[in-house]
Formats: sequence, structure tokens, C-alpha cells
Amino acid sequence: MKRKKIIRYIVLPLLVVIAAVAFYIYKEYNRAHKDTSKLKPDYSIAAADLVKEFETNEQASNKKYWDKIIRVEGMVKDLTQDDKGFYSIVLGDTSIMSSVRCSIDSVHSNDAALVKKGTVIAVKGICSGFNADELLGSDVILVRSVIDSKK
Amino acid sequence: MKNFFLLACATILFATGSFSQKYFTKTAKIDFDATSASSPEKITGVNRSGTCVVDTKNGNMQFAVLMKGFAFERALMEEHFNENYVESHKFPKAEFKGDLKDNDKINYSKDGTYTVKIKGKLTMHGESNDVETEAKIVIQNGKINAVADFSVKLADYKVAIPGLVADKVSKVAKISVSCSLELFKG
Repeated sequence: MKRKKIIRYIVLPLLVVIAAVAFYIYKEYNRAHKDTSKLKPDYSIAAADLVKEFETNEQASNKKYWDKIIRVEGMVKDLTQDDKGFYSIVLGDTSIMSSVRCSIDSVHSNDAALVKKGTVIAVKGICSGFNADELLGSDVILVRSVIDSKK
Repeated sequence: MKNFFLLACATILFATGSFSQKYFTKTAKIDFDATSASSPEKITGVNRSGTCVVDTKNGNMQFAVLMKGFAFERALMEEHFNENYVESHKFPKAEFKGDLKDNDKINYSKDGTYTVKIKGKLTMHGESNDVETEAKIVIQNGKINAVADFSVKLADYKVAIPGLVADKVSKVAKISVSCSLELFKG
């Protein structure tokens, strides 16, 4: 009788807890990256304005935008595809060297393939920071980007 | 006075002329591999937006990459890399400044393949260390294609590995860099 009670009130609940923890660890371990296209942007801004903000105060802008989802609108300065098929889109004003560089999430490569140079588009991505370079022009970098809506 | 002005102009033109010997890229690829021999899974990340400038006149080179830009297959691994290991919110950038040794042996105006030594300082996670490696450089149609591999000891950069994953994460990370540089027209 006593043994039955122990099983019922201690061993069984313990097993349930262990199973729940194991399940949680398994899920967490195999968690995939979220699809940026399904995430709501924290900020929505024009490419030139974003670059200007970083150029004026890199530290404050890093604090504000780093690891945040940003929707950037601007003119496609350049579209490149590397040897593995990964696209990056450069948004900004052709008159200045600095721009917003967006590496496109490979899941959304097909959308990037349709983008044309010189058109104005919006890209949503996660800000990974600012690569300041006096010679080459400074860039705000967005990773895991998707094309938001074409204009 | 007029002559002086002309001379000044010529000097400026000449000076900017010598500047145009720079090659650059903003899409350098950096592979990071810290898989230890006993690990059942791969611990690898890739960054495709490294910036690199090489001055072919003196062989000076600079490399910069944003730590947050490393993409890992598993979301959890990427979060750990950023938050616990390299602390990319505190140290967002890794930089390499160095020189191509035997730069004068490379003829940048002709197609060819070279193996050269690169020596410099790598700054990451707030720590700077000397790095020396060999790079393969291929000059083709006015572009420079370069690949280099090297290893970094994580302890040198004060990157701590928790005991729980010590058998998975290697103490030495392998870094592979590959880029295609084009002439900078400033």
C-alpha cells in the first residue's frame, strides 16, 4: 500500500517532469531560425536616413538598431549573387558611397532574383551593425533579409 | 603664384593617382569551424559580408567583419555564439590588419597564381593577437581572388567554453577566408 502511494505521488510526476524537460531541450536544440518575412519590423526607415543616423552617431545607433528587425526602403544600387547562389542587395543613393547591404535569406532567393537595379524596394532584415570605412564608404548590414514589398 | 597652384594641383593628382592601387571587396566570405573531433554535430558559421582592402603598392591589407553576421544552421547555436562566446553586443566587429609578405614579387597587372605569407594582427572579442598564415592569390582579368586558412586559439581571445560543451566545441577554431577583390575607382 505504501509503495503504491510512492509510485503514484512521487515517481509518476517525476517522470512527467523529466519527459517535459527532455521535450523542451529537444525542441530548443532543433529550433530553426524564424522567417524574417513573418516578423513585424521594429523600425521602418529610408536607407539614406538609416546610414546617416549611423554616420552621425554609431554608438547610439548600434544600441538602437542592433539585432532589431528593420524595414528599409531605398533604391537598389547593386544586386549580387555569389558562387553558392546567395544574393545580396545594396540599397541607397548612388551619389554617396555608403549604403545598406542586405544579405538575403536563402529561403527567399527566388524573390531576390526578380529584383532590378535602379528600382525602389523595401527589404526587411536583422541589423548586424555598421561597417565604417572612410575609403570604401560605410555600410549598415542587414542579415537574413527578405524583400518586403515591391514598389 | 600661378605656377605654385599648378604644382599643387599636379601633386594632388599624383597623390590620388597612387591611391588607385587599392583593391577591395565588401562580400568576402568567412567560414568559422569550431567542431571538435569528438563532436557528433558540426559547429560552423558563415559570414558573407566581410570588407577587405588591399593596397597593392605596399601589400598592406585590412579586413573587417561584423560578428553578428555569422549565420549558423541552428538558431540556438547562433544565439550562444553571439551572447555567450564572442559577446557581439559588446564587441560587434572583428578586424585584421596586416601585410602581404613578398608583395613586390606579385605582378598585379598580369594573370598568375601566387602563394604568399600574410602577417598581421587579429582583433576579436576585445583582444589582439598576431596571426600568420599563407594565402593563395590568383590574379585573373584584373581581379584578385584570394583564399586563406588559419586557426585561432579561442583562449587567446578570452572566449570561454563552458564545461558542458567542452567535448563539442574545439579549443581552436578554423577560419577560412575567400574573396574576390576588384580595383577601387575612387
